[in-house]
Amino acid sequence: MAGGLSLYQEGASLLHRAHPLTKGVFTLSVIALAFIVPSLYWILAIALILLILVIVAGVLRRLIAVALALLLPIAVLLLAVQGFANPANHTVLFAIGPVVYYTEGLYIAAIAALRITCLVVATFLFSFTTRPADITEALMQRGLSPAMGYVVQSALQIIPQTLDMAGRIQDAQRSRGLETEGSLPKRARAYLPLMLPLVLSSLVATQERAMALEVRGFGLPVKRVRRYEFADSAVQRVTRWALALAVPAAIVARLLGWK
Amino acid sequence: MSEPAVVFEDVGYAYEEAPHEAVSDINLRIEAGEWVGVTGPTNAGKSTLCLLAMGLAPHFFGGKLRGKVTVLGTESRAIKVIERSTDVGLLFQNPFTQISGARERVHEEVAFGPECHGVAPAEIEARVGEAMDLVGISALAARHPLDLSGGQLQRLALASLLAMRPKVLLLDEPTSQLDPAGTAAIFEVLSGLHQSGITIVMVEHRLETLCELCPRIVAMVTGRILADGAPQEVFNREVVQERVGLPVYTRLARSAALPAPRPVRLSESAKAFRTPIA
Repeated sequence: MAGGLSLYQEGASLLHRAHPLTKGVFTLSVIALAFIVPSLYWILAIALILLILVIVAGVLRRLIAVALALLLPIAVLLLAVQGFANPANHTVLFAIGPVVYYTEGLYIAAIAALRITCLVVATFLFSFTTRPADITEALMQRGLSPAMGYVVQSALQIIPQTLDMAGRIQDAQRSRGLETEGSLPKRARAYLPLMLPLVLSSLVATQERAMALEVRGFGLPVKRVRRYEFADSAVQRVTRWALALAVPAAIVARLLGWK
Repeated sequence: MSEPAVVFEDVGYAYEEAPHEAVSDINLRIEAGEWVGVTGPTNAGKSTLCLLAMGLAPHFFGGKLRGKVTVLGTESRAIKVIERSTDVGLLFQNPFTQISGARERVHEEVAFGPECHGVAPAEIEARVGEAMDLVGISALAARHPLDLSGGQLQRLALASLLAMRPKVLLLDEPTSQLDPAGTAAIFEVLSGLHQSGITIVMVEHRLETLCELCPRIVAMVTGRILADGAPQEVFNREVVQERVGLPVYTRLARSAALPAPRPVRLSESAKAFRTPIA
């Protein structure tokens, strides 16, 4: 059976121990800043900070695998399209016969690729070091309703659960002779006998789970208990505020002509 | 005499839009601390009996309820299911849907119910540890609930229920997904709970198990109670033997033409077969 939709990797690094809200604010701010700052050097600085944190968190190897699979094709595509065909291109970097590659295109592609890299690395760094349950728990401790917290937490688990159920239904239908492989029309036809039981099973499971939640007292009008407190500190609070303020400050600076 | 745990008075219940009642003319009084086994063929109304005791029928399912279902002194119409969950626990047949679907660790799943009831954190920790120890899942505490096998999930569902410390336990086939060793372990836990004074109503198909464990059996057929009493009394009735079945020891004794009352438990069976047949 599939687990939840969590990418969390057990660890005891500084990032693992940081307050979930600090990590959340850091991630959002870093992504925003990567797209706001004007020059390649600033984006490189952000990427360097992210790389140091990735090493500190001990998730470098896992991140490289993700980066190669996700970022490499994007980077190659950007470098090719921008270097050869950007309308601003005029300084020739090199030429192979009639094919000319331009410096401006390379610069623009490098900026775009680095921004996307920052976005992906920051997101995965957050996912690798933060359990989804901790994010919702931290938000509930800051006033998010338990019902909304439950919705968020269960939403993160429902995709693998549904995929697991679909897999079992598919296996059952295959064992009764349904062909689920082959040409596209054949596969499309095979979806109908899979979808109906999947939808029905999901509805039944939802009804049963709703009952189970009532039986366990979900929704009782009692003061919600905090099972654990996340370690927080003045340094983390200041960091959160500083990061949150850095974003509007960068926007204002750009509007005022920061280049 | 103390207040009974569960009382059904002339109860009939039909699910919404159902053409006929799922259970009819149910009169049942279960005293506090009793362990009652409920058995019968498919569509006998066993699960509906549990849903009525919990209050899910009619509160959750709608439908039409006749008569009165009273649990721990409160009539089911007068109390919501979430309020009843303070004292009464129901274990469903399907453990997969019993889990909250929102927790990433087994121990967090066990804590879900007590958290909903506002139990103090230290008390929750104690209850969670105790419940996981009881059903033998302490080693799985850090696993994701969805990574567990069917049997492990069933243990988790039971632990989650026990952590809520109910006074009345309604168990709908609590060991349906467990292997023989797991089943024996769970029944040992239930024996301990019974001895501590908890009322248990357990739906079960394995008649030998029921006879060994439950001092009282309720046999149901097509929504009605066919027999209610001690195991030997219930399974020595011809009508129960025909419509519900009979434990293997009773069947052996019948094949050997032993005189009634025939044995229903292993110990009685050994004794009966040693007795020369007149």
